Amino acid sequence: MSLREQGRRTRLRRTGRIPPDAEVRHFDELGDGTQAVVAELAGRPLTAPEPRDLDDGDVVKFTEYYEVRTR
Amino acid sequence: MSDSYVIVGDGIAGASAAETLRQEAPDADITVVTDEGETLYNRILIKEYAKGKLPEAPISIHDESWYDDHDVDLRLDTLVVDIDVENDAIRTHDGETLAYDTLLLAIGGTPQQLPVENADADGVHHFWTFQDARRIKESVEDADRGVVVGAGLLGIDFAAICGAQDVEAKYLMRGDCWWRYALSEEGAEVMHEAMRERGVDPVFGSGVDHFEVDDDGHVEAAVDPNGDRYECDFAGVAIGLDFNVEIVEETPIETDEGVVVDEYMRTNVDNVFAAGDVTQFHDVILGERAQNGAWGSAKEQGTIAARNMIEHGSERFEWVSSYSITHFDFPFLSFGHPTLGDDSVEATTAEGEWRRVALKDGRVVGGVLIGDLTPQSAFKRLMREQRDVGDQRERLMKPGFAVDDLAPATEQQRRN
Repeated sequence: MSLREQGRRTRLRRTGRIPPDAEVRHFDELGDGTQAVVAELAGRPLTAPEPRDLDDGDVVKFTEYYEVRTR
Repeated sequence: MSDSYVIVGDGIAGASAAETLRQEAPDADITVVTDEGETLYNRILIKEYAKGKLPEAPISIHDESWYDDHDVDLRLDTLVVDIDVENDAIRTHDGETLAYDTLLLAIGGTPQQLPVENADADGVHHFWTFQDARRIKESVEDADRGVVVGAGLLGIDFAAICGAQDVEAKYLMRGDCWWRYALSEEGAEVMHEAMRERGVDPVFGSGVDHFEVDDDGHVEAAVDPNGDRYECDFAGVAIGLDFNVEIVEETPIETDEGVVVDEYMRTNVDNVFAAGDVTQFHDVILGERAQNGAWGSAKEQGTIAARNMIEHGSERFEWVSSYSITHFDFPFLSFGHPTLGDDSVEATTAEGEWRRVALKDGRVVGGVLIGDLTPQSAFKRLMREQRDVGDQRERLMKPGFAVDDLAPATEQQRRN
């Protein structure tokens, strides 16, 4: 996991194409706090403080595949 | 001389133990033995590969260089045939003896086969390893009609695979609903409807009496105990696991459906530990012996086992597991032990949202959330605190439930 900048926010963008070099995480691999963030952001145009165990560019398998975008 | 650790199994439990041992015992000799031909992969993503949604590469977690980089001696395609606890050694199928100071058994399970005629026919699949997923994907891509057997958390993966691969399927269940030990018919109906939307038709009061095969030995139908015949060229069977305890049966290591361990993941033999699906562990929250096959639980057990292998008594396994189903356009999550308990409360909390909480002696021991996962953290906290909520059970059904919705815990409850 990379060093974190303070104050960054994360959103999830639904994605259909999973490149072979993607870091894909299943929902069940995430901690409770990150699961709550994923469940809240999935399918919604919202942002949340960057969760501890997801990096920018990761792909999460929840009800769909979502790319993590953190800025 | 450095300590030597041998780990049997390279699933997430064995691998997390190897990682922890390397971090916390930098000079130790670590050997990992696995009968699989490939290194650690993500077992909870292989269903996505079989669905055709995910390429192979992201499913790998450790490539072989990881073991070199971490000075771990990896033995692939190696079957352990004997454990000699008197002499602290294991023997492999090719006659090699590996001595250990401390042994970890992370040996998992093997899918059960239906005890019916032609259960081993071509086209009848079980699902546990990445190799299974490759065979399933190849088979289902050529299939038109499928049959799924096993109305639980593993069986529904086969249903989702059929749905994703445009295979019309019948899901044959013995009872009157899917996962009847954890859901009521009302909750299960949410899942049934999602299956139907994907072309998978649940059939209740059914099951398989036998399979029929064509002249080439390929499955062509499943016949249920009622005599109803379901044509299929693909069948998925997920009726449970047999835990891989054969190699310990001739040893003094205690078994009971799995390998029995204490809350430190230690067996009744002082320098033999176990972790992952195979363990019957002392659940300190539940207060009784339990078994759990969830990814997070297996990973944590591997970590805890490793710490206690280095220094016994250093950390207890205290964990509330959860397992999600992400095949549909709504989430499903089970937590704790939803099939246990002496009481339960359930409700439809909003359209498409349903939950059930299982209680034992007034305390939450598990549950199921469909649609809205928000209360997960609150229910897990109540489990960890072992708080008596028996007289407030209806409040657990409040939409957006939080622990603050309950009356404050009494001093007695806080002490518990």
